[in-house]
Amino acid sequence: MFSLKFPIPIENTLTPPPKTNNNNNNNNNNNNYNKFSGCSYYCSVYANDKLRGGIIRSPPTSNVALHNNEASVVGGWPETTEAKEEPFPEELRAELMPKHVAVIMDGNRRWAKTRGLFPWAGHQAGVEALKEVVRLCCSWGIKVLTVFAFSSENWIRPKVEVDFLMSLFEKTINSEIDDFNREGIRISVIGDATKLPSSLLRMIKYAEESTKENSRLQLIVAVSYSGKYDVVQACKSVAKKVKDGILDLEEINEGIIEQELETNCTEFPNPDLLIRTSGELRVSNFLLWQLAYAELYFNGALWPDFGKDEFVEALISFQQRKRRFGGR
Amino acid sequence: MDLKYPARKLSRSVLTMGNVGLQLLWYFLHILLSIWHSILAIRCFIESCFITCGVLEKYKSLNIAKLRYLAIVIESEDAHQTSKVVKLLQWLDSIGVKNVCLYDMNGVLKKSKEAIFGKLKNAKPIEEVNEAVTLHVPEHMTLEFVSYADGKEAMVKAANFIFVENLKRQNFGGEIDGQVISEPLLNEALKVVGCKGPEPDLLLVYGPVRSHLGFPAWRIRYTEIVHMGSLNFLRYGSLIKAIYNFTKVHQNYGT
Repeated sequence: MFSLKFPIPIENTLTPPPKTNNNNNNNNNNNNYNKFSGCSYYCSVYANDKLRGGIIRSPPTSNVALHNNEASVVGGWPETTEAKEEPFPEELRAELMPKHVAVIMDGNRRWAKTRGLFPWAGHQAGVEALKEVVRLCCSWGIKVLTVFAFSSENWIRPKVEVDFLMSLFEKTINSEIDDFNREGIRISVIGDATKLPSSLLRMIKYAEESTKENSRLQLIVAVSYSGKYDVVQACKSVAKKVKDGILDLEEINEGIIEQELETNCTEFPNPDLLIRTSGELRVSNFLLWQLAYAELYFNGALWPDFGKDEFVEALISFQQRKRRFGGR
Repeated sequence: MDLKYPARKLSRSVLTMGNVGLQLLWYFLHILLSIWHSILAIRCFIESCFITCGVLEKYKSLNIAKLRYLAIVIESEDAHQTSKVVKLLQWLDSIGVKNVCLYDMNGVLKKSKEAIFGKLKNAKPIEEVNEAVTLHVPEHMTLEFVSYADGKEAMVKAANFIFVENLKRQNFGGEIDGQVISEPLLNEALKVVGCKGPEPDLLLVYGPVRSHLGFPAWRIRYTEIVHMGSLNFLRYGSLIKAIYNFTKVHQNYGT
């Protein structure tokens, strides 16, 4: 509540900002990644974007193209440079950081609509916001980040949008694998894979395989996921084990079902903190079983606008709560 | 060399003064923000008072039809305050919210059931009411009491029930077909094991933590969740505001 969200660090404020290690010579003002701790640079980037009425991560409007329902980027995007470690915020305590953060990334389409853009521009901007949150999680010692990318209920959306999203997932995973390996990020995908395009399935399998040894951060992407489906498939797995003689009926308890949930791919299956953006106050069939004791943090910002400040606010809120897990 | 030393000393002094100045500015801005947050808290309190007194027009008439089933989560420590729970239920009855589910993790409210029904003349337990209570507007209140045992534990019982029923149906070899398990089947199994309440439209959480504390997960797919703070700070105005805000919500359900 009392965190100060001003971009004015009080250390080394009068030292000049370090020179950018940017291989891309495109030094336009749209290079919005806040990589520098220097006060003046941060303020100028932040202030310039605010004065233009944009946001830190707004993409150039003319650069998102839709060709045959596939996502493509047509020049002008700020190149992703090597991610730098984000200093640990002073408002937070390292020993109280959540191990597992879950995020419902809501608001992409509304973000695009308020700017007169097509929905896919919102989804593309949402990807950038996700990259930023992943970078922050890596820097601040969060072990697992689960994001709700596509719900089983989303299949009823217009085919154009669904095809775009599938294409976007595929291209994003493909383009980020090297970064994941460099940063020690392991990617896992959960959800009902039967409905996914085969090319996306192959990409997912490749990404999971090539990053499985990474241990700094586990990024779990829920695609075609439903909390109820997760419980149902866990029950089916348990039934199969009983059928195969691995389990007795009498042995079935909560723990047995939890082991079969899709979040069994991680050491910390239950989120400590759930963040939902865009102001909606519900979990929308996400990780129903796993969220029993999660701190629920609902933020009014639309997902593409969710950045470091908002994330810090969520973490502060989490650290201030007295979580008793039902005990005294 | 001699000229460099005073210059360095000067720049160090300037740096130190600058840093001190910025620190002071930091604390000043921090104080300003704290004052701002305090003003917001006072504003919320005053608004709640105005709502209670009926000063604010828009809260006078609520479209309760949209709120078919309300769930209330209370922290077990606070759940011992039966009088506050009864007060809350009386407010809800006066507003027109008739179908309420009360949850606390340790089952304290279940143990206080008799005391609560004793103080509410117009209330019946859900077990005595026909199914699909949400399909009509009853004249009496319907109360459901739920605890942790009705959440994950109930899900395990429901799954076991399906396994056992499946086993009975198989004539040879006692094989279990796991593929028959589906959402509708689990819904039915949950009713059989005694968890017949519907999915609440709105869930109000009274407690220090912004968590639903293990409320039956199967039932909160699209439930709006509002944190109300501690039961010690129960306010009629806050309740009205939460319900009013819910009536204004639009859900896409994934579309």
